[in-house]
Amino acid sequence: MTTKYQWNNIFLTIIVIVLFIFPFVTDSRTWTILLTQIFIFSILAMSYDILLGYTGIVSFGHAMFFGIGAYTTAVMLDRVEPTVGVFILSIATGMVIAGIISFIVGLLTLRLKSHFYAMLTLALSGLFLVLAEKWRSLTSGNDGFTFRAPEVFKDRMVFYLVVLVCLVVVYILLRRFVQSPLGHVLVAVRENEQRTKSLGYKVLHYKVIASIVAGVVASLAGALYAISLRFVNTSVLTMDITLDALLMTIIGGVGTLIGPIIGAGVIELSQHYLSGLAKDYPIFERWIIFFGILYILAVIFFPSGIVGTIRQAFHKRKKPRVVEEKPSNSKGES
Amino acid sequence: MELLLNLTINGLATGMLIFLLAAGLTLIFGLMDVLNFAHGGLFAWGAYSSVWFYSLTESFVIAILGAILTGIILGFITEKLIIKPVYGNHVQQILITLGFMLVLTEMLKVVFGPNQIAAKTPPYFVGSWEFGDVIIIKYRVFIIIVGFLVFGIFQYILKKTKIGLIVRAGVMNKEMVKTLGININNVFLYVFIAGAVLASLGGALMAPYSGVIYAEMGMEFAILGFIVVVIGGMGSFPGSLLAAVLVGLTGSYMAYYVPSLSLAVNMMIMAIVLIFRPQGLFRVKG
Repeated sequence: MTTKYQWNNIFLTIIVIVLFIFPFVTDSRTWTILLTQIFIFSILAMSYDILLGYTGIVSFGHAMFFGIGAYTTAVMLDRVEPTVGVFILSIATGMVIAGIISFIVGLLTLRLKSHFYAMLTLALSGLFLVLAEKWRSLTSGNDGFTFRAPEVFKDRMVFYLVVLVCLVVVYILLRRFVQSPLGHVLVAVRENEQRTKSLGYKVLHYKVIASIVAGVVASLAGALYAISLRFVNTSVLTMDITLDALLMTIIGGVGTLIGPIIGAGVIELSQHYLSGLAKDYPIFERWIIFFGILYILAVIFFPSGIVGTIRQAFHKRKKPRVVEEKPSNSKGES
Repeated sequence: MELLLNLTINGLATGMLIFLLAAGLTLIFGLMDVLNFAHGGLFAWGAYSSVWFYSLTESFVIAILGAILTGIILGFITEKLIIKPVYGNHVQQILITLGFMLVLTEMLKVVFGPNQIAAKTPPYFVGSWEFGDVIIIKYRVFIIIVGFLVFGIFQYILKKTKIGLIVRAGVMNKEMVKTLGININNVFLYVFIAGAVLASLGGALMAPYSGVIYAEMGMEFAILGFIVVVIGGMGSFPGSLLAAVLVGLTGSYMAYYVPSLSLAVNMMIMAIVLIFRPQGLFRVKG
């Protein structure tokens, strides 16, 4: 068991080091920007995975927290001054606001069954969207506003590194979180809520904690997203953001943390290339159809996503070896 | 006074359209325990196909029949391909129907183009009646009549016929119906198709009412439909009529008096109902 973990860690460390060196060896702006985008959405998708993958809650209002983070950072950098200090302060403020709101929302709604919870979060995020559109003095509504990012982040490479550090830190923290006793209770809630309750755990309590963690991390992703565009409008609160997080988590693999990162990469990259193909083949302008179909197939045939399916394949190959004490190649091939 | 009357008729008409959408949702949920997030897609397909048939034939009757046909075909496909594989798993149902909604919306853009399409009102419904100061738009009255007619027909089928009896029994206790030798899977399919037909009929009536149709309208109306289903109580047919009228009227009054809050108020009603009475105003006894 430990060796497996070590191998995984070594593998991940190598990838992270490669990603750190990447901007120093190439000066392709497109790739730096694309990878930054992937990292930001990885953070968002990981936070969604805490809800969907580990606790088994379907939320359709995740864009709410993403939007809170984005708007807090944008408004504070715009109104106060564009320095790194204010940037950090704004991220902290966004996290606190997102935490408080997810606490209230969670307390009110998590008592409900999955259907109702999904609908209520959908409605609440719709409410936030309306609020952002009407509160024009703060948000400029649908037109949005541009703001000046701190001088340091003008350099795409620096920003790339900052986002990468954030991704790694968030990944490590969230992995600690899901491997803690608390995380195991969350998995128990996902697997069998009734039984967890009868074992004496306050299920609502744990669900609220999961929703706060997810909300806070999503607001960090939103803040980084706002900086990367240096512009914010109501699109950060739309259903599309929630759908992106959902697709990335499902396609990458629910309940794996590394899966959403891979999912974010797959979706952002194919989005990039498919919309590039649209010049030659008009059907690719509607590239979302392919994702929709892929996603439906994934839900039916590969409910555990890319990472989950690979892991299952590994386990299948290993298991007979342990039980029968001899490698059975025929089973591995079939 | 005439303003209030106009707002009321307006609200009733919108409420009826939402009712057509919500009735299917609530029936499907009550019987099959499936929350169909793709229902708005069926609604939008109904609207687009009716506009398409109308532009081909210039006949409103054929346009409506075309939309109903679309509803039957799409309902059949959805039940067989999308809902069937994930019976009994709520999380997967929510995820997969939402994915199908995405596909349906994007398919509309592929087939009919991404731009808004203008929808014409048939000539015999253009214009309005005037009674002194009160102006009543003909088409809205037509929608209200159709809405009540559909409610009456479905209520009759549910309460007075054998198939209605089976459906009501299925809502209360699926296992028992199965034990009595009835193939509940077939009943599921029929109910799902009926729900899809109601949604596409709603879409077809919606098109001339709003004058333009666009692919995203499915999701917008589906959200209203969910609100109605929650307020009215999942699985309750009269509940969804009442809640739809309530939501339609609130939307219409608020849009006039406090326009910025019209959507928010409906969501707040739903939030309050969910928090204090999660089973909805009407509860199906089981």
